Amino acid sequence: MKQEEHTTVLSQDAVNLLNNASNIIAITSHEFKTPLTAISAAVELLAARLSNNQQMDAFYEKNLSRITTEIFRLNSMLDEMLTINSIMSGRMSLNKQLTDVVQLLSTLRANYFADPEDTRTFELSITGTPRDIYADQNQLTRIFMNLVGNAFKFSREKLPLVELNFETEKVIIRIIDDGIGIPAEDLQYLFQPFFRASNVDEIAGTGLGLSIVKTFVTEHNGTITVDSIVGEGSIFTLSFPYHADSR
Amino acid sequence: MQYTILLIEDKTGLRDTLQSLLELHHYQVITAANGQEGIQLATAHLPNLVISDIYMPVLNGYQLLEAFQAHEKLRNIPVIILSARSAREEITLALEKGAAAYINKPFLFANLNANIRELLHTSGTATLNH
Repeated sequence: MKQEEHTTVLSQDAVNLLNNASNIIAITSHEFKTPLTAISAAVELLAARLSNNQQMDAFYEKNLSRITTEIFRLNSMLDEMLTINSIMSGRMSLNKQLTDVVQLLSTLRANYFADPEDTRTFELSITGTPRDIYADQNQLTRIFMNLVGNAFKFSREKLPLVELNFETEKVIIRIIDDGIGIPAEDLQYLFQPFFRASNVDEIAGTGLGLSIVKTFVTEHNGTITVDSIVGEGSIFTLSFPYHADSR
Repeated sequence: MQYTILLIEDKTGLRDTLQSLLELHHYQVITAANGQEGIQLATAHLPNLVISDIYMPVLNGYQLLEAFQAHEKLRNIPVIILSARSAREEITLALEKGAAAYINKPFLFANLNANIRELLHTSGTATLNH
């Protein structure tokens, strides 16, 4: 029996509906940020008043800090929703330019914070002769923020390590942590939207971060792979070509 | 030495809380609920620095920046924009229209205060109020 080919053509009404839904997600995500700012500012005002009146103790400090951490975590989730919404609605624009990856990572290391109270940094190792790549700096920053952020979230004793190896045709970047690792059966689904590994229930996340990373890496003609052993850690390996075809 | 900051924000809760935080850090604060009120207060008080939201009724933050640039006495007052929007185009537009800094909501007050201190230090418009 001949298999019929089906082509789905969306009506104008359906296209309008999808556009409206996308606009609603974008508008409400932005609108959430102002009350989040008001809550964050109120927490800081409370903390300042308690300190000034010499009433701040470990209990207040811990719980006020926890509220602030959760506010910024919620904000990260909103940013991920906004990004995935832009990708799905085709509104993500690329602005590729020659980018110094070492400088970008060094700046990130100097300014990096996973949580407002987290002052840890990551180790950076470079081999080969550094060369620029054509990249959208916003997207490249988001890629590193996500992968290094995950390395911090899951690492235990050692600081996360970022290795840059400048090969002849491409730069290989490895982000290494000694975290809880990812179960082998989960690895194939890791870059799918909303997927979360089976051993991270206690750790906050939307399951959108790695799918966004994968989309951004693909936009740069790059690749991303992961090697992981439960209980020992994970290594995310990125590669980006130098050549101008990637513009 | 006390600096005067004009805070322009249409959301009452955020405006009140930010005003309290700024006052706790020894700034004198005057407030407005939109860009039009902001321009009137700025013209009357010539504050050392302005902190403004972008999306407000009556007159928005971009229009406020244009009005400041067109006004001889307001042109050199540094304006910090606070916005929930982080798109590169919006940040670039605000900076092109004369914003001295652009801070994404939500933010830590320490970050805002660091920007305020730096701008007050470098703007050269600081005046002694007390």
